[in-house]
Amino acid sequence: MNLYEYEAKRIFQDHGISVPPSVRITKPEELRKVHLGWPLTLKCQVLSGGRGKAGGIKFPKDLNEAEAIAKDLLAMTIGGSKTESLLVEPRLSIARELYMAVLLDRSAGCPVFIASAEGGVEIESSHNVIMMPIPHPYHDFVGRDLAKKLGLSGGLLTKVADVANKLYRLFESKDLDLAEINPLVITAGEDVIALDGKITVNDDSVNRQKYFQGWQEKHLSDLSPLEQRAKMADLNLVELEGNIGILCNGAGLTMATMDMVKAFGGEPGNFLDVGGGGDQKKTLTALEIVNDNPKVQVILLNILGGITACDEVAGALVQFMEKHPERTMVVRLRGNNQEKAEQMLAKSGLKLYPDLEDAVKEAVAKSKAKQPVGAKA
Amino acid sequence: MILVNKDTKVIVQGATGKMGSAHTKRMIDYGTKIVGGVTPGRGGSDIHGVPVFDTVAEAVEKTGATCSCIFVPPYLALDAGFEALAAGISLIVLITEGMPPNDTAKLVAAVKAKGAKLIGPNCPGIITPGESLIGILPGSIFKSGPIGMVSKSGTLTYEIGLALTDGGQGQSTCVGVGGDPVKGLEYPEVLTMFENDAQTEVIVLIGEIGGNAEEEAAEFIKKNIKKPVIAYIAGQTAPPGKRMGHAGAIVSGGKGTAASKVAAFEAAGVKVAMTPNEVAKKVAEARKTPAKA
Repeated sequence: MNLYEYEAKRIFQDHGISVPPSVRITKPEELRKVHLGWPLTLKCQVLSGGRGKAGGIKFPKDLNEAEAIAKDLLAMTIGGSKTESLLVEPRLSIARELYMAVLLDRSAGCPVFIASAEGGVEIESSHNVIMMPIPHPYHDFVGRDLAKKLGLSGGLLTKVADVANKLYRLFESKDLDLAEINPLVITAGEDVIALDGKITVNDDSVNRQKYFQGWQEKHLSDLSPLEQRAKMADLNLVELEGNIGILCNGAGLTMATMDMVKAFGGEPGNFLDVGGGGDQKKTLTALEIVNDNPKVQVILLNILGGITACDEVAGALVQFMEKHPERTMVVRLRGNNQEKAEQMLAKSGLKLYPDLEDAVKEAVAKSKAKQPVGAKA
Repeated sequence: MILVNKDTKVIVQGATGKMGSAHTKRMIDYGTKIVGGVTPGRGGSDIHGVPVFDTVAEAVEKTGATCSCIFVPPYLALDAGFEALAAGISLIVLITEGMPPNDTAKLVAAVKAKGAKLIGPNCPGIITPGESLIGILPGSIFKSGPIGMVSKSGTLTYEIGLALTDGGQGQSTCVGVGGDPVKGLEYPEVLTMFENDAQTEVIVLIGEIGGNAEEEAAEFIKKNIKKPVIAYIAGQTAPPGKRMGHAGAIVSGGKGTAASKVAAFEAAGVKVAMTPNEVAKKVAEARKTPAKA
């Protein structure tokens, strides 16, 4: 779950990391009550990246200009994410910018600090990036080591070390995937301030973090409506451009099925993994979600039962076909309780393909068949 | 065969839960030497004919188990793993899906410090066909033979296992290492075990997009593995920036693409198959050609 900048900064502040004074607004006229001096900084609050490049940050010189700009910014959509509000801050006098983040590194198998003495830039394109594995249990000297590696000394070394220590502790206590400050600015008066922040909460951990209870629904604006529905039903959906709706159990098999559809000349319309152990109700929800994608002409259901019981899937299929008898389906079902599933489906007239390659070829052929045109009843 | 055989004594942590109970029965039916279950507060009872203990320490003391299969809910998995380690379990098979990665990182570090082995989390487990099935794999798909398999995926492992078995290529051991970004056993450790295993002739590696474990495996194979390796990479048509089900399956910042993994394998002399059936074909071809000197 990605958080908005203002939420990330509130968390930084709660953990003792300094952020600029700010006001959050949802209407341009609210700027009249803001007294942070001029010029101001107006920043779109979106869940996607690339905000600066997209023109989502502006520095108006006076109230007239600010209100006009605020109106435009509030209407912006950046990278598929609608602007939720604007964060209004004074423009700081910056002496230096750093980059600092904590994230879980899969190669190292543990959380790491990523830091750079050049902040404000895209970290991928920076050459002086420090990567430092974080030991467990954690001690404060780790932050000092990092500040030293950044080439800092004197009062700044301890101030930046303090930010690093606080950033790691909030990363751990809040179960984050990413806690990033970019840039971490050093003002003319040697104050160390998080000018921009990004926090990604680990999706598997949200339920044990009381602080984030109920947050998920309002943090889905970077997903399509169908992807949002899937997420709330605990299903993994990625929408694609083609017309074959793919529904499988297990991420690897779903990807493999998608790849095969493409390899045999078809176009996948989505990736939908119902997960292991999907029961009848969850499978039915998944079928309805794929069915509601207007681009999808053929649904290819591929279930290889390990945990998943084929009869549960068959139950969902029978229910689905009663409701949508017109839907073109290709079904591959194999595994646990397969005979029982075959008996259940025999009445519905659905042909079952035990072999995946045959099923994929059939789905591709059906997706290319001409749809009946002008068949007015 | 590697890691497990018919004599491996296994306990199940979470054996009385819905999923734990169902799979304990399936494992017993398969012939796995399940010697007990562990559920705090249920000690003294039994499940599917095996005794239930309150603690792993007691279970190990009474049964001599060396392996634990864990089915507990995600937020209890770290504690369950630490309990198994403290009791002297040397192989932990952690099936649980949705374990917080920061917890996994702590468990992986503890497992390494203790010199134990962890398979998973979020994995289907391990099977040595005809000997021992530990986890949730469908036993009927796999047959004993000379192919070693290591995979990040569950159901895709069954699909490729099916293609191999149908094609007359039985398996020595199949290890599902799981699809999480941080995990216990990684490719190089499993590849080394297959390289040193007399039964294994050909190794099948099933990977997917995201991270660089496949690129590292390719490099490792080039230097250390003489047996033929056939690779398959899922997610060749996945769009960038989207998480494809598994927490680790995401192409980000142009890294972790299928193309990069395929190129790395080909450069290391590893044949890459494009469909599950092609894996079986390439395995058959590899067995006909003489092994590398």
